[in-house]
Amino acid sequence: MTRSILAGLTEFALTALVIGLVILAVLVPLALSQPDPLEVLRLFVLGPFGTIRHMGNILEAATPTMMTGLAATIIFRAGMFNLGVEGSFFLGGLAAAATAVLLPLTGFVATPAAILVGALVGSLACIVPGYLRVRFGASEMVNSLVLNFAFLFAGVYVLNYVLRDPNAGALMSYKLPGDFTLDRLLQGTRLHTGVIIAFVACLLGGIWLYGTRSGLNVRIVGSSPGFASHLGLASSKLLMQAQIAGGLIAGMAGAIEVLGLYSRFSWTGLPGHGWTGITVAILARENPFLVIPAALFLAYLQVGGDMLARNLDVPSEIVGLVTAAIMLAVTAAAIFRHPAFLRLIRDIKGQEQGA
Amino acid sequence: MIEFFGAIADPAVFATVLRVMTPLLLAALGVLISDRAGVLNIGMEGIMLSGALIGVLVSAATANPFLGLFAALIGGGLLGALMAFFINGLGTQFIITGIALNMAALAATTLGLFLATGDKGMSGALKSGVLPNLDIPLLGGVPILGPLLSGHHMLTYLAILAVPAVAIMLARTPFGLHIRAVGSDPKAAAAAGISRNRVQLYTLTLSGVFGGAAGAYLSMGYVSWFAQNMTAGRGFIALAAEVMGMGTAWGTFAAAAVLGIAETVAITMQTKGLPSELMQMIPYIVPAVMLTVYAARRQAKARKIS
Repeated sequence: MTRSILAGLTEFALTALVIGLVILAVLVPLALSQPDPLEVLRLFVLGPFGTIRHMGNILEAATPTMMTGLAATIIFRAGMFNLGVEGSFFLGGLAAAATAVLLPLTGFVATPAAILVGALVGSLACIVPGYLRVRFGASEMVNSLVLNFAFLFAGVYVLNYVLRDPNAGALMSYKLPGDFTLDRLLQGTRLHTGVIIAFVACLLGGIWLYGTRSGLNVRIVGSSPGFASHLGLASSKLLMQAQIAGGLIAGMAGAIEVLGLYSRFSWTGLPGHGWTGITVAILARENPFLVIPAALFLAYLQVGGDMLARNLDVPSEIVGLVTAAIMLAVTAAAIFRHPAFLRLIRDIKGQEQGA
Repeated sequence: MIEFFGAIADPAVFATVLRVMTPLLLAALGVLISDRAGVLNIGMEGIMLSGALIGVLVSAATANPFLGLFAALIGGGLLGALMAFFINGLGTQFIITGIALNMAALAATTLGLFLATGDKGMSGALKSGVLPNLDIPLLGGVPILGPLLSGHHMLTYLAILAVPAVAIMLARTPFGLHIRAVGSDPKAAAAAGISRNRVQLYTLTLSGVFGGAAGAYLSMGYVSWFAQNMTAGRGFIALAAEVMGMGTAWGTFAAAAVLGIAETVAITMQTKGLPSELMQMIPYIVPAVMLTVYAARRQAKARKIS
């Protein structure tokens, strides 16, 4: 037991080492271009832990990506490369705003109703490409990539012709009524109760995937479809269930983001949290429990980047480069499937079996 | 229907179709080449975006749009080669590699634009060049055909000439045979002494060169500036065009033409007062519908045989 934990720690240490090197590789050239290179590194690495408020910012930034990361994890675990999470997030936010503006709900039912509508409408962007794959065999990856944009423009149409406040100047919706909101948790940040929902969702997702029969079935269908059909599992049904679950979670994430952070809906482009969610899922090695630290880590990078942008003349886009590089580094088989590393892991585990 | 063909024969409409299909065709041919060698290039969107910025920056720095185009081709090729290095050298999955490239390109182009102009949105402050339109001598004087076929952008002609070139390369050259061998059965290809890594390096590089050309067209032909995320999903439409084209250059050409016509319809409907957002959906819905119809027909056929 202790040795298998040790083996896990070894893998974690290697991952951390690789990520650290990647960050340095991107950051050091940038830092050298600035008058005070050490200050750039200090601000990026330690800055986010400087005050309670900044740590609140990390949690705030991790709230949407924990949920989109969980959604992507469930979809990928079923063996589908359905990239509709981005579209679901956008639609979920739009539908929650539409519920708030159009329906005369008040009191404690208001916010849950808007989140529910957001989840249901948002799930469409994952369900449609998933269904087209299961029913007709059309590539879910290509379909989800193009349909994300179709859903975006459909959403902007609804915003412009149904929800738009003509007195607001720019293209944005009417003000969301006061009952449609999530409570703020920390003064000076925009951290809201959505973060609790995100934590609970990841934990429940992990328990479902590893602790229940249907979670096991989904994992079997995803990792070896042939074996699944030998077992007599209803593969199509399981695949669709995973797409629906992923879509609902991603739509819910969008709804929570809009209700928690904004007083009006004003997205006219894809917000990008779905793509970050895919990175989170990959970084977490498609494990719902690890989605939490993975999302927190990427949010920490984001806050570090924002601090660079605010205090020095360094654009925060640098974080996008770091994230992309990390995504490649942690999936590089040359590092994590290297014979020497695999032998090391086997040695650590093997001695336990011998003892 | 007659009205439709009448509209297409109108030189102005025909020119619009060519204008919007040029970047799709270039990018889709790039996707085709690497896909036939077994790597679907999801990173096309990012390569196009990088090509667009490189073209603008280099043409502004050298005051020569051709050097800008050349740099965009080289830059695109290098990005393709980088993808090949990650996929075969470091063993990353090609889908993840493509997604990461798109992410990195969006960040790096914004960063590059900011460093060059101090603006994160648009390159309006830079005096960047535009690649010329070509008037074809003799042909330009022919009635009806002349105005239709002459006077288009140089990359439009290049894109159309590239269709038979890619078709011949894939079908009739030893390199094309190697590409198809690696794409259809890497083990058999290896047994015949064809290196998968080398072929995929060449095809991804070539794919990147096409993507660089598509990007240069966007920023130095379609419009004359670079804007943040200006590709707006065109790389993904090109991906869909290639899949619709069923792995052939002529099929890809036909698919790009259909999508170009769809986008032209969208543009003309917008000027007639229909909601622009709904019209903008058309070029994204058409590929999804066609892909699904193809897949459904293939499935039905397979069922009939078995």
